[in-house]
Amino acid sequence: MVNLNFFLSRADLGNTPYVVLIIYLIILLALGIFGYIRSKGTEEDYYLAGRGQGLLVTSLTIMATFFSGVALLGFPGMVYENGVSAMFIALNLPVAGAAVYLLGNGIRKLGQARGYVTPGDMIAGYYGGSGVRIVVAILGMLYVLPYIIIQIKAGGGLAQQLFGENMFNLGAAALSAVTLLYVLVGGMRSVAWTDVLQGILLLSGALLAGIAVIISLGGIEPFFSKVADLDAKQLTMHDPKESKWNPWWILTFCLFASLASIVQPAQWMRFYAAKSSKTLRQSAMIFAIILPSCFLFGVMLVGLVGRAVHPPIDPNLELVASNLPEGLNKPSQIAVFMLGDQLPAMLGGLGIILVSVIMVAIMAASMSTADSNLHALGGVLTRDIYDKFINPSATEKQRTMVGRIVIVLATGLALLVVSLGENTEFGKGLLETIMQFFFLAMAFSCQLVPPAIDILYVRKGTRAGAIAGMCTGGAVVLATYLFSEKEATQYLKRIIDLGCLAIIFNVVVFTIVSTITKKVDPSHIERFKRDLS
Amino acid sequence: MKKESKRGKLATALIVIFLFALVMGPGPGSLLINPHGSEPKFWLGVPALYVWAVFWFFVEAGVILIAAQFIWKKEDKNG
Repeated sequence: MVNLNFFLSRADLGNTPYVVLIIYLIILLALGIFGYIRSKGTEEDYYLAGRGQGLLVTSLTIMATFFSGVALLGFPGMVYENGVSAMFIALNLPVAGAAVYLLGNGIRKLGQARGYVTPGDMIAGYYGGSGVRIVVAILGMLYVLPYIIIQIKAGGGLAQQLFGENMFNLGAAALSAVTLLYVLVGGMRSVAWTDVLQGILLLSGALLAGIAVIISLGGIEPFFSKVADLDAKQLTMHDPKESKWNPWWILTFCLFASLASIVQPAQWMRFYAAKSSKTLRQSAMIFAIILPSCFLFGVMLVGLVGRAVHPPIDPNLELVASNLPEGLNKPSQIAVFMLGDQLPAMLGGLGIILVSVIMVAIMAASMSTADSNLHALGGVLTRDIYDKFINPSATEKQRTMVGRIVIVLATGLALLVVSLGENTEFGKGLLETIMQFFFLAMAFSCQLVPPAIDILYVRKGTRAGAIAGMCTGGAVVLATYLFSEKEATQYLKRIIDLGCLAIIFNVVVFTIVSTITKKVDPSHIERFKRDLS
Repeated sequence: MKKESKRGKLATALIVIFLFALVMGPGPGSLLINPHGSEPKFWLGVPALYVWAVFWFFVEAGVILIAAQFIWKKEDKNG
């Protein structure tokens, strides 16, 4: 976690970070209450804000959900560790932007015409049967659960660094309580409105970080003259034999990781909630242009120059605390380390406010991902499991209540896991496993892409094909986890993104099984085509 | 009908350009600039690979803007 104590003590930021943090949390609660006042009490309103979200809310909630705190800190850390080659992963964002419209708009149309709420609703609605719904729900949960736990852990870590070593549990609990409160009372409306604030903080924090560091180093020319001091490995592409930051892995990541994040359950629900095609078309443009700009011209540059200004002691050894400058414990801390080190000294009071805003932006990135995934988990478990298998005759009121209970239980369980991970050996092992699944999460959600494309564009697949394809893709992801120590697996993971590898198996099996199994009724396909036109 | 076929051709061209941008930018095209083990290049004092990444980002973003303006917008109106 970010070593904030180190620079808080050095930079003498006074109470500014705490004041900014308190203002931020008060605004979140106010937005939650405002969402509750505007809510209509129906299930559709709780999960999809009445399917009427406009451009500002839709574009910012999609972006805030897309980026977690881990990404906001991780991107500059990757650049610090691997140099310019890691900056190419920002080029996956325009692909995701295109998918916001090309997949999202079809999803929105079908959702509006048929009352869908979850990914399982649409995929099972097209192929029929409950087997496909269970597979989609499991893949969705394999994405959602690790994300919730890791974001809550990140919140606890930030509180620990801000308020002291023994504040981890209390900090994680307090941030979870604030998140839980506004998710419970206002549903999608509150989550999306708080995402607007969090999205603005995240984007401005990422962009300001780069601009501020360039200014603090004396402008663009001195900035890049520092970068020119980097060794050749930092300024060239990497060799696949040594690292994954080579063109083959980066290309497959750009193509498929972007799609994985766009078809996660929380994003799927945002597409259902969008007001119109125009909303998603404009959101796609905003996403494709603004988000990569904030990274390429913002926080990634901090990681690049950070390597020149604060190089590791021995670049050939692993970048752990003992091999890094004092106060920098791991590469992912470089953005906060650089900003806390330079801004207050260079920009005085403005620098202190900037650092405080960027710190709260890191928290906002974690909270906006946690709240969206908690809300999506409530929807998936209620609609795809409770309503279909446990209590099919449940009323709308019962379903909404069960959704809220799921959200409370999931938050409590996540807090328990995080707390155990901090305090017990068993918990540490459990959290380590969850962390491994966090890195596999996108590869799991990626398996929803083939059936989504089939429903929206191809319409040649069958129920058996969809189930077999998704199960095969999920099994490939699990196999790479189970055999991750094997040399062949490690080499494969360095030349091809895991989600891409699994999706290739998924598509091949989906296609073969679809050619030999019972087709979807042509009149059913026609009705879907009509709803999409 | 004629307009639809024009849009179809534009869509095909944009898909080809977009995929080309991915292959040239983050993909193996980057090996033309600074492959592993080569001497780092600088363009106007800026690392050439960074300029390369920014250029292909603008190409990708441009394709999406053109698609949104001339294809998706028309489709939305027809829909």
